[in-house]
Amino acid sequence: MKGFKPSAPFLLLLPAMIVLAAVVVVPLLLSLYSSFTPFRLTRPETFFVFIGFRNYLSILSNGDFWWAFGRTVLLLTIALNLEMLLGLGLAMLVEKATRGQRILRTLMMFPMMFSPILVGFQFKFMFNDNIGLVNNALQSLGVTQDAIPWLIDGHLAFIAISIAEIWSSTAIFAILILAGLLAMPKEPIEAARVDGCTPWQTFRYVTWPFVMPFAYIAMTIRSLDVARAYDIVKIMTDGGPAGRTELLWTLVARTAYSDGRMGMANAMAYFSILLSIAFTVYFFNKLAAARTQIGAEW
Amino acid sequence: MDENSSARLKRRLLGVVYRIGLFLAMLTICLPGLWIVISSLRPTVEIMAKPPVWIPQEISFDAYVAMFSGIGKGGIPVIEYFRNSLIISVTSTVIAVAIGMAGGYAFARYRFRGKSSVFLGLMLTRTVPGIALSLPLFFLYVRLGIIDTHFGLILAYVALNVPFTIWLIDGFFRQVPKDLAEAAQIDGCTRWQAFWQVEFPLAGPGIASAAIFAFLTCWNEFALASQLTRSVSAKTLPVGLLDYTAEFTIDWRGMCALAVVMIIPALTLTYIVQKHLVGGLTSGAVKG
Repeated sequence: MKGFKPSAPFLLLLPAMIVLAAVVVVPLLLSLYSSFTPFRLTRPETFFVFIGFRNYLSILSNGDFWWAFGRTVLLLTIALNLEMLLGLGLAMLVEKATRGQRILRTLMMFPMMFSPILVGFQFKFMFNDNIGLVNNALQSLGVTQDAIPWLIDGHLAFIAISIAEIWSSTAIFAILILAGLLAMPKEPIEAARVDGCTPWQTFRYVTWPFVMPFAYIAMTIRSLDVARAYDIVKIMTDGGPAGRTELLWTLVARTAYSDGRMGMANAMAYFSILLSIAFTVYFFNKLAAARTQIGAEW
Repeated sequence: MDENSSARLKRRLLGVVYRIGLFLAMLTICLPGLWIVISSLRPTVEIMAKPPVWIPQEISFDAYVAMFSGIGKGGIPVIEYFRNSLIISVTSTVIAVAIGMAGGYAFARYRFRGKSSVFLGLMLTRTVPGIALSLPLFFLYVRLGIIDTHFGLILAYVALNVPFTIWLIDGFFRQVPKDLAEAAQIDGCTRWQAFWQVEFPLAGPGIASAAIFAFLTCWNEFALASQLTRSVSAKTLPVGLLDYTAEFTIDWRGMCALAVVMIIPALTLTYIVQKHLVGGLTSGAVKG
């Protein structure tokens, strides 16, 4: 370390590093340690008992955990894919509009302003079997006479949660893809049309490659925040009925705060962290690849 | 002639289909929010009515009056929650933006070893789910005695926001041509002066929108706040929303009213910054 002089970017990044180390990295190391102990909130002395991988082993043989894990991955897969498709569709609808595009854009961003907890509450209200908007509408239209138990039946509850999640996050995709569509030069499309491409071919080979990096930006932003589904599920069903909509995150919260089994919960939390990191790294790589491709074509 | 008119008909038909599609899409987007607003303004009897009452028969602001007339009358201390939310969100936003400006400037203006991995590392700290982070933080905060305080939550939110503000602000600084600051330096400014006199004003609107984005994240955050706060002294609005739910009953009208109170600041702020926000997210990323 002779003659070590901190460089400017190092100094500039230092505050960020310090804060993140203090609030994220060190606590995570602590929780990593405690995932190797049988730590319970009610019995502090258990914090210093080391039990190796026993928490992890008991998680791996825990059926509820695997159900929650599978359900989380399923929800994310369904939600992200549909959000992407719907966002693309919405962006193309709005881009086509000749008048009032500004208003449409603002309306389109509407769900982004809702906090996830509000989204959860609002859909809980709408899907209420007795007084909810959805059932009222179905009954008034004469589709059904029964009160459909949206949030009480396990499968229906999962669908309801997916709808809430998709409603709240499609806007991010739509707005970023729209930005891509608007930034796109018009000549290539016209050239493709002159050359006799069908609309589908124009879309597939001209528009889509151009818009793709924007879609990946949206994916990356979303993947930074996938766990916001916790808020929605927490308020809509709280993991119920009978754990049928339990996600990884609600399971962690329940194990930690209701059962007080911190060590076990920390071990589970590490699975959810790894899941999030996997999503983010995957999309970051996609983003980098899409970026270089665009760079080469420009 | 026939071909012409059938082509015209087809085109008009497509236009109608397009309009209907657009209308339905916008309806789906707006309806849930509108429903909340309407429900907050009608008496509970109407919300509960069977068969449903579609068009509100009477409009009343009772829910809002009850909410702001303090504990006992409205059931929950909304004013305190509002104050907590405001203090925590504003303070942590200011700090996060200051840190983010330093970091974003470093990414936009300097080349250094491992730049992209440092960037990815910063982003990865953001991916840690709030609930997973809340476990060790809860434990630490209890030990340090800062559980259920403004300070504790502010600290957590600064860390939550720093990665994303760096990303955004990095993008905005990239949009400012390097030559401008260099020209200022040639004319005798120090780098520090060049930053404040030239680059900062140009990136200003972008930084403002990054600030608003950070503010909204704090304003809406639930997972951490619900575990790190316990009482009226630090609870924020999202956590307060849960006060309206009891084990089997929910005060729907009160909840709707609180939801409207929460959404109005968010709505206004987002509307103001929407243009810059999209620009910042995409510019930093596409032009690499």
